[in-house]
Amino acid sequence: MNPAQVLLFAVGGLSNAAYLFIVAAGLSLVFGALRVINMAHGSLYMIAAFVTVVVAEKLGIALGFWGGLVAALILTGVVGAVIEVVVLRRVYREAHLVQLLGTYAVTLIIAGLVRIVFGPNYRTMKVPALFSGSLSLAGFSYSVYSLFMILAAILIAAGVYLMLYRTALGRNIRAAVSDPELLSASGIDVARLFTTVFVIGACLAALGGVIVAPSQAVLSSMDTDVLVLAFAISVIGGLGSILGSLVGSVIVGEVYSFGLQNQYTNQFALAFVFLIMAAVLIIRPWGLFGTPEQ
Amino acid sequence: MIPSIGKPLRWAVLATTALLIAAACGGGGTTTGTTTFKGTKKLGLSTTISGVSATYGHAISQSVKMAVDELNASGGVNGYKIEADVLDDASDVNKAVQNTQQLVLQDNVVAMIGQVLSSQCSATMPITRQNKTLVIAATCNSYQLTTEPDLVNPYYVSIVPNTYMEGTSAGALAAKLGVKKVFIVSPNYLFGRSETNAFVAALKKASPSTEIVNSESTWYVPFPTNPRWDSTISAIQAAKPDLVYSNIFSADQVNFIKQATGVDPDFFKKYPMTTLSSVDDLSALTSSYPLGMHLYMRAPFFALSNPRIDDFVKRYRARYNNEYPSDWAVMDFDAVQVWAKAASAAGSFDSDKVLKQIVGKSFQSLRGYTFTIRPGDQQANVGETIGTTADSGGKYPFPTLKEVTNLKGDDIIMPMTLVNELRDGKCEKGGNPTTTDFALCPSWKS
Repeated sequence: MNPAQVLLFAVGGLSNAAYLFIVAAGLSLVFGALRVINMAHGSLYMIAAFVTVVVAEKLGIALGFWGGLVAALILTGVVGAVIEVVVLRRVYREAHLVQLLGTYAVTLIIAGLVRIVFGPNYRTMKVPALFSGSLSLAGFSYSVYSLFMILAAILIAAGVYLMLYRTALGRNIRAAVSDPELLSASGIDVARLFTTVFVIGACLAALGGVIVAPSQAVLSSMDTDVLVLAFAISVIGGLGSILGSLVGSVIVGEVYSFGLQNQYTNQFALAFVFLIMAAVLIIRPWGLFGTPEQ
Repeated sequence: MIPSIGKPLRWAVLATTALLIAAACGGGGTTTGTTTFKGTKKLGLSTTISGVSATYGHAISQSVKMAVDELNASGGVNGYKIEADVLDDASDVNKAVQNTQQLVLQDNVVAMIGQVLSSQCSATMPITRQNKTLVIAATCNSYQLTTEPDLVNPYYVSIVPNTYMEGTSAGALAAKLGVKKVFIVSPNYLFGRSETNAFVAALKKASPSTEIVNSESTWYVPFPTNPRWDSTISAIQAAKPDLVYSNIFSADQVNFIKQATGVDPDFFKKYPMTTLSSVDDLSALTSSYPLGMHLYMRAPFFALSNPRIDDFVKRYRARYNNEYPSDWAVMDFDAVQVWAKAASAAGSFDSDKVLKQIVGKSFQSLRGYTFTIRPGDQQANVGETIGTTADSGGKYPFPTLKEVTNLKGDDIIMPMTLVNELRDGKCEKGGNPTTTDFALCPSWKS
C-alpha cells in the first residue's frame, strides 16, 4: 500500500468513525452520568434519520436537511425526555439487567411505531448541494460529504467538551459521573439534571442520525446496526468519557476500514473490533479513558 | 325479584353462543361475499417484513396477499378459502426456522412460499422435508438448494433463476465485454458465495486471461453489512478495475451506490459495474441510480411487457397506493398461482398429490412465457433479464433498462448431467474454497 492509498483508507475509516463517535458519545454520556445502559439509544438515532428524510421530502433537499436537523433534535429530545421520566426514573436504583430490559422494551415499541408511521420500505435522500461533490487528491477521489461528516464530528466533540468543562451544567454532569451520591447531597436537582443529560444524549443520537441520512438508506433495522458498534466503542473508550468515545470510534473505524480489504484480516475485521473490546475489558475494564468505578 | 331464565331458553342461548364461537374460529364453512367455502386452508409465508431486506418482504407479502384474495374472489381452491399466513422473520435465519416450525406444526399450512434469503431456505429445509410440506421458492435461489445431497428436498420447487443461472450468465456477459480486470463485491453468506463462485467459474472458462484484482478473501463482505462502504470504495479506487461484479442487494446496494457516487459522481463510469438488481433498488434511488450500469434482474415488469404482467401491474398499483411491483412481487405471485393450479388439478391439498401436478408440468408466468418444472431437480426453466440502465423518459420515477436481453431459461439452466454429477459425487473434491463445486465436475471441464 502506497502513502496515497493509506490516506484513502484512513479517511474512509475516519468518516466511518465520525457518525459512530456522535452516537457513541451520547450513549457514553448517559451511562457515565446516569449509570443506565440505554438500549433505546439506537432507536433515537433511527427516529432522527427518518425525520430528516421525511422533512427533506416535504421541503426539498436544501431546506430539508437543516429543517430535518431542527425537527429531529426537537422530536428526539422530547422522546428522550419522555423515556427518562416515564421509564428510567423507575429503574435507576434497580439492577442493570432491569434497566436493560426496560430500555429494550422501549426499543421494541419504537421499532413498531417507526414501521407504522414511516412504513417498511427504506428511504433515501440526496446529499445537500452544499456538501455534495468530490475532491481529488493524489489520484483518488474523496467525498465532500464524508469530509463534512468528519468535520461535524470534530465540531460536536468540541461542543460537548466545552459544555462539559466550561458550563455549570457540565460541572454537574461530571460530578454525577464521578460521585452521584455527593451530587444529591449538594442540593442539585438530580431528577432535572438526569433528564437534561438524557435529552443531551438523545440529541447526540439524533445528530448521528441526521448526519448519516443523506449518505445511506434509512431503514427500520438502523437502530441495532449502530447500537452494537456504539456499545463496543463506549466500552473501549470508557463509559462516561467523551475523549474515550472519540478514540474508541477512531480505533473501530480504522480497524474496520483497513481490516476489511486486507486478504489476511478480511474475514475477521468485525471480530477484531470485539477482540479489542474484550482485551480492554480484561486489562482495563473501565476503558482506555474511563475512571474505575468506586 | 329478577326473573330466572327457564332451562330450555338457557340451553338455546348456550347453543347459539357455541355456534357463533365455532363459526368465528372457522371450524366450519365460511362465507365471503356471495361465495360459501367448505373451510379455510392456510398458505404459509415467512418473509423479511423488517430488517435489512424489509423492502423485499413488504413486496412479497403484498403480492401473496393479493394473489390469495384474487383466488378467493374466484371461488378459492378446491372449494376452500385460502388464507395467507404471513410471519415476519426480520431477515434472520433463526427466526425463519421458528416461523417455519410454527407455520408447519401449529398453523398446519398446506404449503409454503419460500423465504427471501438462501440461508433461511437452507435452514428450514429439514422441517419442510420431514413434515412433507410443499415449498415453492420464488426468491431464495442458491443452486445448492436443489443439488446438494444433504439439502435436496423432494417437496421443494424453485421458480426463480438460481445462482448457477445468474452467476454463469453474468460471467459469460463479463467475458463478452472483454474486461481484463474485475473487482468482486459479494455478501458473505450462502447466496453470495454460490453466485459469485458460479460467476468466476463461467468467467474463467470463457476468458481465462481475465484477472480478478482483489484477493479471494476480500470478495466477500460481512452480511448483513456495515452501512458504510468506504473501505470497499477505497479498494476499488486503488485497484482500478475494468469491471466491478457485485451481487449485493437491497439496502447494501443502495448504500454502496450512494456512497460511491458521493466519492465520485462518475464512479460507475470509471469503474463500470454489473450487479444483480431489482425494481425495489431502482425505486429506492430513483433518478440517483446511475445510468449505464449493467444489471441482471429476475423479473422487471418494464422489460417483460405482456398482457398478463401489464394487467398485474395495474391491479397491484390500484391496490397498493400506486406502488410498482418489484421482481419479487411478480415471482411470488407466480408461486401462488403455480400452487393453486396444481392443487386444483390434484383436487387435494396433500403435498404428494399436489407435487405430482407440479413436477414436469408447465405453467404460464406473468413474465410472459411458459415455464416447466424440470423433474430431475424441480427447478423451473425461468429466464433472466439483462440490460443497461437508462432514463425512462419520464415514464417511470426510476431508470429502466436499454439493450435488454431476456435470457431464456433453457439456455442458462444447469444441465441435468451436471446436476447428476454433483448429486452422485462424481466431481473432484477439495481445491480452492472459492472454486465452485460444479467447476470440478467432468461435464463442466469438458
